[in-house]
Amino acid sequence: MTRKDLLDIESLSREEIELLLDQAGPFKDLFTRSVKKVPALKGKSVLTLFYEPSTRTLSSFEVAAKRLSADVTNFDVPHSSVVKGETIKDTIDTLQAMRTDYIIVRNKMPGLPQMIARETKACVVNAGDGAHAHPTQALLDGFTFREVFPELTGKKILIVGDILHSRVARSTSTLMRKLGVEVAWLGPGSLVPKHGPKEIERFTNYEEAMRWAPDCIYLLRVQMERQSVQYFPSLREYTKLYGVTPERFKRIADQGTYIMHPGPVNRGVELCDAVMDYDRSLINQQVENGIAARMAVLYWLKPDTPTS
Amino acid sequence: MASLLIQNARIACEENDDLTPADVLVENGTITQIGDQLQAPEGAKVIDASNKILMPAMFDTHIHMREPGQEAKETIKSGSEAAINGGVTGVVLMPNTSPAIDSAAMVRTIYDIAKRDARIPVYTSGCITKGREGKELAGIDGMLKLGVKMLTDDGDAVPDLLLLKHAMEYASEFDCFFASHCEVLELSGPRALNEGVVSHRLGIQGTPACSEEICMDRDIRLAHATGARLHIQHVSSKIGMETIRWWKQMGAKVTAEVSPHHLLFNEEDIGDYDTHYKMNPPLRTAEDNKALLEGLKEGVFDIIATDHAPHTPFEKSQDFVNAPNGITGLETSLISLFHYFVKTNEFGWGLIVNRYSAQPRRMMGLDPVPITEGGKADFLLFDPEGQTTFSSDYMQSLSKNTPFLDKTLDGSIDLVVLGDEVLLER
Ligand SMILES: [Zn+2]
Repeated sequence: MTRKDLLDIESLSREEIELLLDQAGPFKDLFTRSVKKVPALKGKSVLTLFYEPSTRTLSSFEVAAKRLSADVTNFDVPHSSVVKGETIKDTIDTLQAMRTDYIIVRNKMPGLPQMIARETKACVVNAGDGAHAHPTQALLDGFTFREVFPELTGKKILIVGDILHSRVARSTSTLMRKLGVEVAWLGPGSLVPKHGPKEIERFTNYEEAMRWAPDCIYLLRVQMERQSVQYFPSLREYTKLYGVTPERFKRIADQGTYIMHPGPVNRGVELCDAVMDYDRSLINQQVENGIAARMAVLYWLKPDTPTS
Repeated sequence: MASLLIQNARIACEENDDLTPADVLVENGTITQIGDQLQAPEGAKVIDASNKILMPAMFDTHIHMREPGQEAKETIKSGSEAAINGGVTGVVLMPNTSPAIDSAAMVRTIYDIAKRDARIPVYTSGCITKGREGKELAGIDGMLKLGVKMLTDDGDAVPDLLLLKHAMEYASEFDCFFASHCEVLELSGPRALNEGVVSHRLGIQGTPACSEEICMDRDIRLAHATGARLHIQHVSSKIGMETIRWWKQMGAKVTAEVSPHHLLFNEEDIGDYDTHYKMNPPLRTAEDNKALLEGLKEGVFDIIATDHAPHTPFEKSQDFVNAPNGITGLETSLISLFHYFVKTNEFGWGLIVNRYSAQPRRMMGLDPVPITEGGKADFLLFDPEGQTTFSSDYMQSLSKNTPFLDKTLDGSIDLVVLGDEVLLER
C-alpha cells in the first residue's frame, strides 16, 4: 500500500490514514533518543518549493526530511502573490532536470500540486494549495487528537472560524470524518460554506455549538487580510461572537474540552491569553507532532525515480 | 459540380421527427427534384445514402474565431473549416476580438477576411460598447448598415444599466437585437466554476448561478421596458431557464440559447481540476442539466449555439483558476447531440433541425434551408450507424480544447453541400 503523491485527504482511505498515523508513532518516540535520525531516506533528495512564505511548515518538513537522512534543498521561488502557469511549467522542467525524489510544494493556486504531480516522477507532497487542501496538517491533527482519544469513533470536534477559505478546515474535517469523528463548523454565516458535506453540522451561534458538547474545539487562525472584503463587520465583533473569550474559556475548562489551533495564533482574537497555558491545550503538541506525521508521509511515499 | 443525385436518403425537417425516404437531385446549386428512383442526369455525381439522413445544414450564432488578435487559437479560415467539419454552413462571430468589432471598419475587416478565407457565409455581431469596455456606445449605425443584426459585449455583461438602457432605446429605430452574456461580476469570484459542492471540494471560490440569473432578469426587464429585442446567450441554470419561460409568458420579446456543453456536462465532470470543463458561465449541476434539456424540448430555448471558444493547449494546461474559459464546439455539437439525445430518444431530428438550423437563421433575418424542391442546396448527410473519433487529426479547428478529444461517439457527418459546392465528403 504505497503511493507516489500526497495531494489531499479525499483520496486516502481510512486504512491509509490509520497506517500513516500508526507510523508517526515510532517516529515521535525517536525524538526522545540522543540520535534523532534514521537512515530511511539516505541518498534521497527532497526539494521544498514554497511560493507562500511559511517558516513553520517549511521548517517542519525540513526537520522531518533531515531526520530521515534525506538531502534537503530549498528551491528559491519568487514570492509574488500570483504565480502564473507559465513560470510554474518552467519550474517543473527545471525540477525534472534536477532529478529530485520528493517535491514539497506550497502555493496559492488550488490544484497546483496535482498539476506538478502529473508532470514529474518525483513524489509530490502538498504543503498547502490555496483554500483547497493541507493534508499533512490534517494528519498531524489526527495524530494529536488520537493521542488524547485513542478510540475516535463518536468523538466530536468543533472547528471554529473562517471555514470558507481554510484548507486546514477542509482537510482536517475530511480526515476526522474518515476516522469516525463527528465534525461541526462554527463561524460567521459568510464564512461557513453551505456546500460542504451534509454530514457536517453547521453552527453560527456559540451557545448552540457548545450545547452540541464537543470533545475538542479547533480554532482557525483569523485571516486579517480578509477584513478588506467585509465578511464580518469588525475583528472586535468577530471575537465577541466566535472567539474564546475569558468567559467562554471558563466554560470550556469546566467542561474539560480540549483546544487545538494550527498556528500561528492571533492572541486576543480567536483566543484569550489564558488558553495558552491551559493544560488541555494541544497547540504545542501539534507542532511537535507535525514533524512525526511528515516523517511518516515521506517514509510512506515511493518515488517513481530510478534508484541510483 | 453540374448536378448531384443523392439516392435512398431519409430526409429530416424541422416540423416533426419523421424521416421521409426519397432521392434528391441537385442541379446548379438548387434542389430540382425530390422523389422515388430519380434518374441521374448525364455526368451527375451519384451518392448512395442508404440508411443516412439528409438534413438542412446547421447554423451557429455563437462563435469565437479569434481573428484578429489571437490567430494562434483560431482564424476565420480554420474556424470555418471546423464549422464545415461539424455540418455547420453559417456562423455568427462574437465581437470580442482584439481589437474588438465595435465599428463599421472592423466589420468590414471581418467580411474581407471571410471573403478571402472562408468557404461558408460568415456573419458577425457587433459590440454594444466601444472596445467592450462598457463605457461608451459603439458605432452602432455604421455596423448595422453593413448588415450586423446582433449587438453584444459577449464575454461580459454591460454593467452600466443606464448605458444599456440608452443603447436599447437608440437601437429600437433599427432592425437589430441585443444579445446578453449574463453575469454580475461582483458575485463572480475568479470565474472558474460553479459555487457548489465541487468548488468547495476544490477550494476555489465559485460563481453562483444567481450571478447569471440576476443579470438575466435585469436585462430582460430593461429590454421589456424599452421595447428592444433581446437574446439571452448560453443559459446554464434551472432558474435561468425558468426566468426566461416566465418572461416569455409575460410577452417579453426575448429569445434564448443553450449550448451542448451545458446540456451534457456538469460541475462533477471537472474531477481533478480538468480545465476542459472550465467555461463561463460555468457548468452547474445535474439538476440544471435536466432542466435545460426540458427547456430545450419545450421551446424555452429557441436555439442551440455552441459558444465555440478555442484556446491553445498551453493556456488550457495552466492551473484551473488561471486557465481561460471555454471549449470548442463546432465539430462536436451535432454528433454529440445525436449520440446523447437522439439515440436515447430524448428528442428527435425535428428538434435539431429547428433549433440548430432553421431558428438560428430566422433569428439573423435569413431564410431557413429545408430540403425542398426549388430550395437552395445547403445540407448535410448524417450516418447514424457511423462513428467519429475526435482525434487531433480529425479536427480542423486550430484548437483541440474539447472534453471530447480522442473520444469516439456514434454518428458521422459524411457529406456537406452548399450551393453547387461539395464542402466535405467522407
Ligand atoms: Zn459569453
